Amino acid sequence: MTGTAVEAVSVLTGWGKGVRALPPDAARSAAGRAVIPLGRPALEGERFRRATRECLLGVAAVDALLRASETSREVVKGSSTALIYVTGGAYGAANHAWVVADTARRGAVAGTLHFPYTAPSVMSGEVAIEFGLTGPYGILIGGAAATIDGLWQATRLLESGRCERALVLAVETFEDCAELYARGRWLVGRPLVEAAVCALLVPGDLRTRYDAPRAPSALETRARTRAGETLACGPLIALALGREDGATGSIGVTGEWRGRRAGLYWH
Amino acid sequence: MSQRAEPVSLVAAGVVTPFGADLDAFWSGLITGSDGISMIERFPVDDLRVGRGGEIKKLRPMPGARRVGCRATQLLLAAAADLLARSPISAEPERVAVVLGTALGGVGELERALAPGGRSRHAVGALYDSPAHALARRLGARGPVLTVGAACAAGATALGHGADLLRADVVDVVIAGGYDALCRFVMRGFDALRSLTRERVRPFDRRRSGLLLGEAAALVMMTREGATRGPRLGRLLGHASASDGSHIAAPDANGRGLELAVRSALEEAGLTPADVDFVSAHGTGTPLNDRIEAEVLRRSLGRRAAEIPVNSIKASVGHTMGAAAALEAVMCLLAGREGIVPYTLGLEEPDPACELDHVIGAPRAARPRISLSTSLGFGGCNAALVLEAVDR
Repeated sequence: MTGTAVEAVSVLTGWGKGVRALPPDAARSAAGRAVIPLGRPALEGERFRRATRECLLGVAAVDALLRASETSREVVKGSSTALIYVTGGAYGAANHAWVVADTARRGAVAGTLHFPYTAPSVMSGEVAIEFGLTGPYGILIGGAAATIDGLWQATRLLESGRCERALVLAVETFEDCAELYARGRWLVGRPLVEAAVCALLVPGDLRTRYDAPRAPSALETRARTRAGETLACGPLIALALGREDGATGSIGVTGEWRGRRAGLYWH
Repeated sequence: MSQRAEPVSLVAAGVVTPFGADLDAFWSGLITGSDGISMIERFPVDDLRVGRGGEIKKLRPMPGARRVGCRATQLLLAAAADLLARSPISAEPERVAVVLGTALGGVGELERALAPGGRSRHAVGALYDSPAHALARRLGARGPVLTVGAACAAGATALGHGADLLRADVVDVVIAGGYDALCRFVMRGFDALRSLTRERVRPFDRRRSGLLLGEAAALVMMTREGATRGPRLGRLLGHASASDGSHIAAPDANGRGLELAVRSALEEAGLTPADVDFVSAHGTGTPLNDRIEAEVLRRSLGRRAAEIPVNSIKASVGHTMGAAAALEAVMCLLAGREGIVPYTLGLEEPDPACELDHVIGAPRAARPRISLSTSLGFGGCNAALVLEAVDR
């Protein structure tokens, strides 16, 4: 096998678990709410006591993926699994808290345990620690177009033999700094829907094509209509929707961010 | 077993560092052993344990730069001006990509957004990918714009991603590199972590007691082999990354991730330790990092480790975070071109636990053709680059 395949996708959103929880029309279902939040997952373990909500959401999304695909933790553990993490702004909550705490000179709050969590790489780092992932990584910052870039990088790693499987994880949270997103209305749509989504890519028979289409794919439009604004999670939700329709082979997803649209097609 | 990757040309570079606004100032600062560390003046640090760092005191005025309020973007535009003065972009806008690594993005804008009178544009500017998009707009680049958020290893990963875009023929030119600006956000953070030293930064020295931060931007122009005529700086032969999966803010005690990154990068380059002429170490000057890194280099390079010159430039310009790996890659290529290896400022009494062939006290006359550059970052990020310099 010289190509790749999408083995499974897990979806957690403010609407619930899985794509079946998505409403037909997110805007209508939001009923004027700016943010549809996703609760803090109740994960056991001392280490998770101090971890931020976005870290726990990443862990929960990977855990859901492994359960859905009946893949054991032992299989993904080690250096043969790549982890590609994408987010448009999930680091915002920790950054916001850090600045506010510093401004208020609340030294005890803005302390040693809090600062590392302002780094986007720590979110994927927590996932790597939890699942014992020691393979190649990619950490991309941006909206849906960045996720297409991340998916493409995962296929490159697989095709070049640098890993045996790749997890592409996207997490977005908005509630903690909703006020900032309200100021950047021209950049993001409504409603803002918190999400944590993960796809498992494996070697397969399908080749991929990466390009810059002008128009959104039908799946991109559908994902946005049903899920709302999920930034980097959008293309992975679109993948999940496509698979829900029964597409296990050829499939294409697109994503747009800051005026640039990227597309990836398995064929 | 991964495949050997096609080399990618590194045509030219542009930088802005605490030494000055271009590549010549950077190189002469390194070779003369200048100290780019000073008291930070641009924002309040009086309540912090340590208020020193590699601050850039003056940026050259640029057309339109007055409208750019974001410090990180200003640094990028300054580095781009230096780069373009050396080599203009000759490709269709849709075939030009921008791939940048950063640890902080535009986070300085978040401080402004949350201050009294903060504006909407500050809030958007606080997104970590805002500076990359600002640079792409300035360059007229309409291809992929990627921001790599792999903390202090991000610059290396950005060069690797850029090379992949070229190998896959997605674009013809990639402007890749890294940047980060000093701001209170990060100074306060590293101060809280007690990572900053009150003394001199001393990578691999037995008296080392911590790092100092710096700010910089470093960009390289990348093309496919044979796509550009004329002089070039060198080639990127290999890149690899690996997660530690062990701790969010400290390196793995055994350096497993870094070792895998080094071995994989050499494998991608189709080289062995016998081919390596020079190592640019991450070398932060923190007790843990330097010991682990030295152990990894000894393990992964074997007997050759004792014969390969090693340096760290972090005592000279500070730890420039997202810019560090790109800056160090440029240093590797300049060392090969100029036939001289900068020394590790602050290193006087090598720690026996960090035993390597350190370049101490004065630059060393050597012309490294193949260089290995290592980088580590928060979240257990490790990356390695294998570079080939071109003779002047």
